[in-house]
Amino acid sequence: MPREPIDPSGLQWSRVSPKYLRVRLLGWLIGSLVWVVLCSIPLVLRLTGAWESFPPLGVAWGLPAVVLVIAAWRGLLLPRQVAAIGYAERDEDLLVRQGVFFQRTMVVPYGRMQYVDVAVGPLERAFGICTLKLHTASPATNASLPGLPTEEGTRLREQLSARGEARLAGL
Amino acid sequence: MTAHEPSGGVPAAAGPEGGAGAEGAGQPGSGPVARSGDAWQRVHFISPLVRGWIALAAILYFVGRDWFEGLFDAGTRGRSPLPEGVGLLLAAGVVLGVVLVIAAAFFISWYFTRYQVTAEHVRVHSGVVFRQQRQARLDRVQAIDIVQPFLARIFGLAELKFEVADAGESAVRLAFLKLDDARKLRATILARAAGVTDPEHPEEVVEAPEREVVVIPPARVLGAAVLSGTTIALVVAAAVVVTLGVVFRTPIIATSFIPVVIGVGGSYWSALNTGYNFRAATSPDGIRLRYGLLDTRAQTVPPGRVQALGIVQPPLWRLKGWYRVTGNVAGYGLSASNEGQARTTLLPVGTRDEVLQILALVLPDPGTLRPVEVFSAGMTGRDGEEGFITTPRRARWLAPLAWRRNGFAVTRTALLLRSGVLWRQLVVVPHERTQSLSIEQGPVDRRFRVANLQFQTTPGPVTPRVSLVDSAGAWELFHGQAVRAAEARRRSGPEQWMKSRPAEAPAQGPGAQASAQGPVPDVLPEVPVYVPAAAQGEEPADGQR
Repeated sequence: MPREPIDPSGLQWSRVSPKYLRVRLLGWLIGSLVWVVLCSIPLVLRLTGAWESFPPLGVAWGLPAVVLVIAAWRGLLLPRQVAAIGYAERDEDLLVRQGVFFQRTMVVPYGRMQYVDVAVGPLERAFGICTLKLHTASPATNASLPGLPTEEGTRLREQLSARGEARLAGL
Repeated sequence: MTAHEPSGGVPAAAGPEGGAGAEGAGQPGSGPVARSGDAWQRVHFISPLVRGWIALAAILYFVGRDWFEGLFDAGTRGRSPLPEGVGLLLAAGVVLGVVLVIAAAFFISWYFTRYQVTAEHVRVHSGVVFRQQRQARLDRVQAIDIVQPFLARIFGLAELKFEVADAGESAVRLAFLKLDDARKLRATILARAAGVTDPEHPEEVVEAPEREVVVIPPARVLGAAVLSGTTIALVVAAAVVVTLGVVFRTPIIATSFIPVVIGVGGSYWSALNTGYNFRAATSPDGIRLRYGLLDTRAQTVPPGRVQALGIVQPPLWRLKGWYRVTGNVAGYGLSASNEGQARTTLLPVGTRDEVLQILALVLPDPGTLRPVEVFSAGMTGRDGEEGFITTPRRARWLAPLAWRRNGFAVTRTALLLRSGVLWRQLVVVPHERTQSLSIEQGPVDRRFRVANLQFQTTPGPVTPRVSLVDSAGAWELFHGQAVRAAEARRRSGPEQWMKSRPAEAPAQGPGAQASAQGPVPDVLPEVPVYVPAAAQGEEPADGQR
């Protein structure tokens, strides 16, 4: 995990579970397949002759090709995206970072957390990971931490709740 | 915790009220309760009528019209299947029946709506088939409004709205009460929410004294509407219509202008209606705002409830040096309606001095020794005056107009975010009100070594963000702000704002004395004012940071 030059000393970013990459890759594979198949329908119809001339052959070939390129690009980016997700617990707040090209780092004070969600989808459950979501009084606080090992997610939830209670301020 | 808990689910609520709640839930309006102040009460008898008058009028109109037309049909053509007298009777009977049904519905809804204010909660039970029991904690109050729609004003009635931080609809709406009762109830709620209690006379709650600080003359509200962006749109639309009319030599296009005129007229009207007679006052219970032409509204926002403040100047207002101040208050939320916009407006149109006065009410301690200079620089200045840090020169092509104005400044108590060249904007966020913050950087930003900061507050018209600041400065602000916010939260006062912090009690002087003895201090509150640095003598200019 690269460190920013201004990061306070002693800040250690924790990375999410490598299993999350597998979940994301699986999701990416399924999604890409569906898209490619869908976008290949005009091509198939054209080649089998069911459609006479409507989509020019170039378009019929181009559509799945473009989708394939985008999917490949996203797939190549996935490992870096997952690697870019990190979080750090500090005394007063939790730092969450994400993004490769569009980087974002968010700090959520413990005393501002109204509640903490832990969500597990079927795919995530199979891999034993979960997603943690923090909610403050602002709906714009969009701090979610995907890909935590279940026990780490539970620990974090308990810890955040405890710390939030200890430092709970009003609004 | 907030509004939606049924009172039955909270048996732990303190003794007497708990009993009263359980008892009242079963059989409405039954039996005496422990403390008369906590008694279950009903809203005013005619309030369903005032609330539902539009529906009633509509029904009467349609029924009446049908009957009227039927009468004529029968008279002129003689096609009516019934003899004339019977038809009339039947129609009258139907109307009477409808009115009776409506009256019964009104009565039932009125009868089953009851409210109670205890030492800690305000509770409302309503509904007949679908029962709703709602209770809200008094110390969670974010704002209290007393609203008088036009018809209610005729009857001398008022609606009381109690806001907690759920950012949606009002937690508690009591419509309608007699105006005096509504005022008394507001005073009671505020006193209890503030933690001021007089155990010997729980009934005698006097409304906290207030001192008017800003009055906006109606002429200025009208002028502000005329100089607003709507007018620019109107002028543009007129130019387009005239040009088209000349080019195509047809006057028909001019008719398309009519809806525009109606829309603009409506917007002028709503500006006048909501900005008319605007007064801001300060009281120990917080900021009081009053305004309205036909519908009047009196808002009370307790101290420390304004989460973020925005000062905006549309381009034409620059001619007169006017500004508008809006604020995020947790309970008000973000609403696109006229009413919602009016509620979040702390000052519809004001001069620089009035804006500074409102700022001083919201933020009594500016955290700098040069408040007037710093905030003025935020409102109109550019470049690095008064400690503002702006977009670095290397990134000027990302914001060719605004780069000299984009910027931020930090005082001991608040963060100032400045932006906009044509629509000038200054956002002020008290440190202890920051919910969370994020720093964002896209590929282009990275190329120019700049970053964007976004501060999350409760929903409202103000969005605190600052774009394109130097990366290093942004990270410094990011980490510094997290620390400052944590410190400010530790320092910030209790939710019950009159439960004075011992260290600060003497600073309030006579007011604090009175609050220790009686329910509410009788002394007029002191109006916090920002003093220009020039008038303070030679102070060092390092007040910020």
